Amino acid sequence: MDKESEEVSPEEITLEMVLKTFLAEAEEHLSKMEEMLLALETEPENDELLHMIFRMAHTLKGNSGSLGFAQTADSAHVVEDLLQRLRNRTLSVHEGLISLLLQAVDFLRRSISEETGETAAVSPAVVDFFRRLPSAAAKGGDETPTDLPAQDRRKEATGRREEDRHSWNDRTRSLRIDLDRLDRLLNLAGEVAIAQGRLGQLLEWRGKREEILEAHQEANRLFIDLQEQVMKIRMVPVGPVFRQHLRMVRDIARAHGKSARLAIEGGEVEVDTTVIEHLKDPLLHLIRNALDHGIERPDQRKAAGKDPCGRIVLRALHDAGSIVIQLEDDGAGFNRRRIVEKAISKGMISSGEGLSDEEVYRFVFEPGFSTAEAVTDLSGRGVGMDVVRRNIDALRGAISIESREGKGTTLTFRLPLTLAIIEGFAVGVGEETYVIPLEVIAECLELPKEESGNPTGDGVISVRGRPLPYLRLRHLFRLGGSAPRRESVVVVKSAGKEAGLVVDFLHGEMQAVIKSLGKLFQGLPGISGSTILGDGRVALILDVTGLLHEAVRRQPERVG
Amino acid sequence: MNETTHQMQYLTFHLAGEEYAIGILQVKEIIEYDALTKVPMTPPWIRGVLNLRGSVVPVIDLAVKFGQPESPVGKRTCIVIVGVDLGGERTVMGVVADAVSQVMELPPEEITAPPAFGTKIRTDFLKGMGKAGKKFVLILDTDRVLSADELQVVASLQETTEPNRRPGADVSTQNREQGR
Repeated sequence: MDKESEEVSPEEITLEMVLKTFLAEAEEHLSKMEEMLLALETEPENDELLHMIFRMAHTLKGNSGSLGFAQTADSAHVVEDLLQRLRNRTLSVHEGLISLLLQAVDFLRRSISEETGETAAVSPAVVDFFRRLPSAAAKGGDETPTDLPAQDRRKEATGRREEDRHSWNDRTRSLRIDLDRLDRLLNLAGEVAIAQGRLGQLLEWRGKREEILEAHQEANRLFIDLQEQVMKIRMVPVGPVFRQHLRMVRDIARAHGKSARLAIEGGEVEVDTTVIEHLKDPLLHLIRNALDHGIERPDQRKAAGKDPCGRIVLRALHDAGSIVIQLEDDGAGFNRRRIVEKAISKGMISSGEGLSDEEVYRFVFEPGFSTAEAVTDLSGRGVGMDVVRRNIDALRGAISIESREGKGTTLTFRLPLTLAIIEGFAVGVGEETYVIPLEVIAECLELPKEESGNPTGDGVISVRGRPLPYLRLRHLFRLGGSAPRRESVVVVKSAGKEAGLVVDFLHGEMQAVIKSLGKLFQGLPGISGSTILGDGRVALILDVTGLLHEAVRRQPERVG
Repeated sequence: MNETTHQMQYLTFHLAGEEYAIGILQVKEIIEYDALTKVPMTPPWIRGVLNLRGSVVPVIDLAVKFGQPESPVGKRTCIVIVGVDLGGERTVMGVVADAVSQVMELPPEEITAPPAFGTKIRTDFLKGMGKAGKKFVLILDTDRVLSADELQVVASLQETTEPNRRPGADVSTQNREQGR
């Protein structure tokens, strides 16, 4: 920190700036400590983890001390001492001690916010906690060193969660950028300026048309590069958001007399920052729900022949041009009968007959449905599943639910890559150009002659002996006009199914910078966004999954 | 220029035989009518979208929205880009005009309340009628005409926002239930 401030001219350094850096760093250290303590619980023999936790406590102590936050520094010292005893093996790692250390992290947080706050004083409860920490640790840790009534502690816990959200918001509003990336941007910006200058000169000197065009294309290419790089900066890995839940899973499970662990897969998958923001709340609700309603008590789990410790998996992956977020638990699964009963009592349906399991499960996303004790015995948590739905809707995502009673539940969110860049394939229909995400394209074929001029617009062709249903974009989009003599079929795959899209022309591959179509067109079936073509015109990006849904939806119109 | 003189200035344009006015503060720019990209499965009064320096901007045909036929694109056809408040979000939209005529001053005393009937468009879309010589110009309340409620593009096609929709059905399959 000091090194940084040396580089800034003295008049620019304000106490506020220093404090901001300190707070950001402290929070970072504390969350890392949390994460590592949880890891330490599963691998008590991992000395490297212990050393890292120790170093963080030490850094925190140093930083607080140098800024004059003596009480926080003292508290951090107590924690450091305790960790030292773990390092010396005079204390051993066990669940109670981890809980105690996690609690200490919470109190360090509180200590920092109080000492850097307006009063600049740490409340007696905090001081008391750290005074009693060593003896509590010696006793085994299961005994809480505070006399705080349970009520108060819960309030603290929720308070912390709100604080968390604040710090998170701060973090998303300011993004940390890799210095290399920034250098690349600067380089590109410089090149764009040079190319622009050259173009300007050519125009002034009345250069040759070809030369001007070439200079222009060069400048344009550089500029598009620059734009892409800027776009990429918005992409951040989902890992940090996922990891924030590690601690919560442990805490909530323990509070309910359960045991559960969160596993994270695909933390390196990058999504747009706006997606991250919208994911934060849904994940919180869903994980709490999985713990509340999904994961059973250890004795129940044992009786059912499962590992007494529940397993929740949070997974991110790229699939067919979308980002897929999955939350999987090996708990009790949804109880169809009870959801149906509740839906009937709410007057949503008259009976559960004819509804698929998935349709039944979707009721839990209805506003006010899950807030009452409805589906489970553990009630009154006010888990707003409709919040989940609203957030996912806002991202134009889709939710699917898979659940088997007694085995567990998997919730899958399919989110479009808003604001990202996709590899697309441009096709033409009449005067319009559409972009299909390359990932969903299997191949391109020529439409057999006997199928051209088909008045219904769709039909089935045979591809290597297999039937392939196709639909004509011209017809589906009601574009009018007549198709050229030879039409092409783009074979797309979505959710394991294949279908053909009949178009007039195949323009070829392109990189498409996704532009949102804005609020006005939100939820438009079959269209996921738009992009700008080389000639400046707007081309719509097709959402193949939605398009096929739309085609299926229109099917009965014609038959009936 | 202070606030009040701003408010007194209006951009007027012709559309389907009427002269409309929009408060100059709402007008961002006027651009030539160029090929628009049609957006399928939207109501006819959405002419399409255009690229305004990298932003994708929807273009609305108010004549069609007010139940008149679409006027042919001519030499003087242009698009007035206006800033509107769409569900609490500032957005820009384009409004087709057969021809832009002038920027005129309309002091408040020259503006009268719209009559209860007789105008081609719903009176609640009007801020009033301004006297321009012997004729009247219809002063549009852009925030209302181009409001989120009025422009429920998707909802007007499929009843996703209908409160009684059968819960649990996938959004894209919902309208299958519409006929029930």
